[in-house]
Amino acid sequence: MEEPALSSELTPELLEEFEAASRRSLATRINYSFIRTYKPVLDDAPFRSFNTMAEYRQWCEENLPDWLGYGRV
Amino acid sequence: MAAFDYRQAEEIRRVFAGHGVRYLFIGASGAVLLGYPDTTQDADLFVDKSPSNCQAVVSALRALGFHLTSDQATEILRGKDFVQLKNGPFDIDLVFAPDGIERFEDAWQRRIEVEGFPVCHLDDIIASKRAANRRKDLESLPRLMSFRQYWTARNRK
Repeated sequence: MEEPALSSELTPELLEEFEAASRRSLATRINYSFIRTYKPVLDDAPFRSFNTMAEYRQWCEENLPDWLGYGRV
Repeated sequence: MAAFDYRQAEEIRRVFAGHGVRYLFIGASGAVLLGYPDTTQDADLFVDKSPSNCQAVVSALRALGFHLTSDQATEILRGKDFVQLKNGPFDIDLVFAPDGIERFEDAWQRRIEVEGFPVCHLDDIIASKRAANRRKDLESLPRLMSFRQYWTARNRK
């Protein structure tokens, strides 16, 4: 897969989106933004802890489906 | 379980403040608090790793309704870098050492307060996503960088 470009163009469409968001209350922004979908493996344990972030990243790569996007590029 | 909502965010703010927890919203959830329109799933909290703060976090989580066993509490107190909690009223990721940010204190000095919610500066959120170097972060970064342009200009006014 091609690495996504890290350009930061502020198009009129994005500007409109950001302006619209800025007019919403914080409560509305939060309630609109948080969604709930089942993530295989990741959601299957009530508690996980990792000594280091590297250990966590490695666990994600070895255990989660690629399509979740937790793998490092 | 339903999605995380504003009322639950208020609960975190109230209970963490009551227990004196030093924390910052980070990741996509932090960006949302700063005004970024996007979707996300979990609340990501960057937590100061000091022993006293870890003790305060354990107490606060229990007060919020998280069912921490003594072993799980010990894990948090031992100073892990990352803890994923799905054993309470909502899901939380506790990040004690996010990629791309050297020290909690630095991020704390740069924090933005949004209606009483402590939030990482947008530049720290971007830095941590860049450093994490995950596919999902890199795909979301261009739009977040565009928001940074907008947010920076807006805050200059």
